[in-house]
Amino acid sequence: MGLSAEERARYQRHLNLPEIGLSGQQRLKATRVLVIGTGGLGCPAALYLAAAGIGTLGLVDFDRVELSNLQRQVLFASADLGRLKVEAARERLLALNPDIEVRAHALTLDTDNVRQIIGEYDIVLDGSDRLSTRYLVNDACVLLGKPLVTAAVHRFEGQAMTYIPGRGPCYRCLFPSVPEGTAASCADAGVLGVLPGVLGTLQASEAVKLASGAGEPLVGRLLTYDALTVTFTALPVSRRGDCRACGDAAEIKAPEDSGVVCGSGGLEPARRLSAIGLRVLLDADAGHAVPLVLIDVRESWEFATRHLPGARNIPLGELEWRIAELAPDDAPIFVCRSGGRSLAACALARRAGITAPGHLEGGLLAWAEHVDPDFEVAFG
Amino acid sequence: MSCTVRIPSPLRSYTRGVQRVDAEGATLAEVLCSLEARFAGIRFRVVDEQERIRPHIRFYVNTREVGELAEPVLAGDTVHVICALTGG
Repeated sequence: MGLSAEERARYQRHLNLPEIGLSGQQRLKATRVLVIGTGGLGCPAALYLAAAGIGTLGLVDFDRVELSNLQRQVLFASADLGRLKVEAARERLLALNPDIEVRAHALTLDTDNVRQIIGEYDIVLDGSDRLSTRYLVNDACVLLGKPLVTAAVHRFEGQAMTYIPGRGPCYRCLFPSVPEGTAASCADAGVLGVLPGVLGTLQASEAVKLASGAGEPLVGRLLTYDALTVTFTALPVSRRGDCRACGDAAEIKAPEDSGVVCGSGGLEPARRLSAIGLRVLLDADAGHAVPLVLIDVRESWEFATRHLPGARNIPLGELEWRIAELAPDDAPIFVCRSGGRSLAACALARRAGITAPGHLEGGLLAWAEHVDPDFEVAFG
Repeated sequence: MSCTVRIPSPLRSYTRGVQRVDAEGATLAEVLCSLEARFAGIRFRVVDEQERIRPHIRFYVNTREVGELAEPVLAGDTVHVICALTGG
């Protein structure tokens, strides 16, 4: 795959690198990379991959651009609010490099479509913010024999690892399963805006290396980065012989979104209350001898900004060891900012023997939207 | 014997936000007991009721992975507690 004179000028700094050179740049042009999630990780990764001349970029995201995304999702501008992320991203990436192809997949990956979509690409970057997607993508990459560069962030800390079929451990080797409620999302826990920038560009660097053949990939090593102490640590990870996905007797024959463990294995049903439904309950509760047990599982500073009348604050991270503060028949209703932490709290409470936990669907954001427009919700 | 333990971001609510804490113990199990004495509840987040390391947690002593609670920790070692992160 040749390069035009204009392309040679554009990629001159790559061409000057002996590790990449003309043949490496031609390989980049011929490579198709799928970026899963155009969030904090996917945005910087896609920007650098487009700039580097990856010939075909695929973007997977079902979401639309929100104001709170702009603190870290550097593909988007204020004018993009409300647009499909993959569409806004495609436009931005083509403006940066019109010589490449950008494919927008505005969908949620699931067990039905993951193989077909990943099958269209050579390298996969996972920047999703759902654990179930991480396992699904991992399994598909193992089954299809695709290299996978995975990364994740939380507050000030990030992790990255590269999987190459037959050469090292996969994501299930690293973390065979993750209990629901133990891994908070960025929406709930917060994240330093530039942190996914560091990890996302690391993912892009890995993809460029894999595509061009330069250097040693991050295989069999988990890279951790702590922005607070500026500490990078590379820790060895071995392939597990008993891994369900890539082990010696692998039992996963089709991609699974399991691995997120909650009680018996999946998300157990929780009472889901709409904002209006909760208001009705709270109104009806007034004057009752036994008041409604309303537990706000946000961090204490979020709780301090504003909370529902009668709510008690038990941050999700403390719930496991403070669960004894709730009686088994309390039927508590958990609330948080957007509904993620409260659902996790339900799962945790159920495991601890609370029989009928419930949660506010959509969280206090839904409360502010449907019940009380003056209710100020702290950004988590 | 004194060692340093690096606390992962999701567990720092137990250590009041502190990333590195000192702990005592000649084995990983003793180090975790030492941590528990100062930061109540933290041990249960990494070890289950059957005394197994939870599947979303990995321990390293310096850069050596430690898969058993009985494995030794020496004075001056750094124990890394790695926790699965999910944010993107």
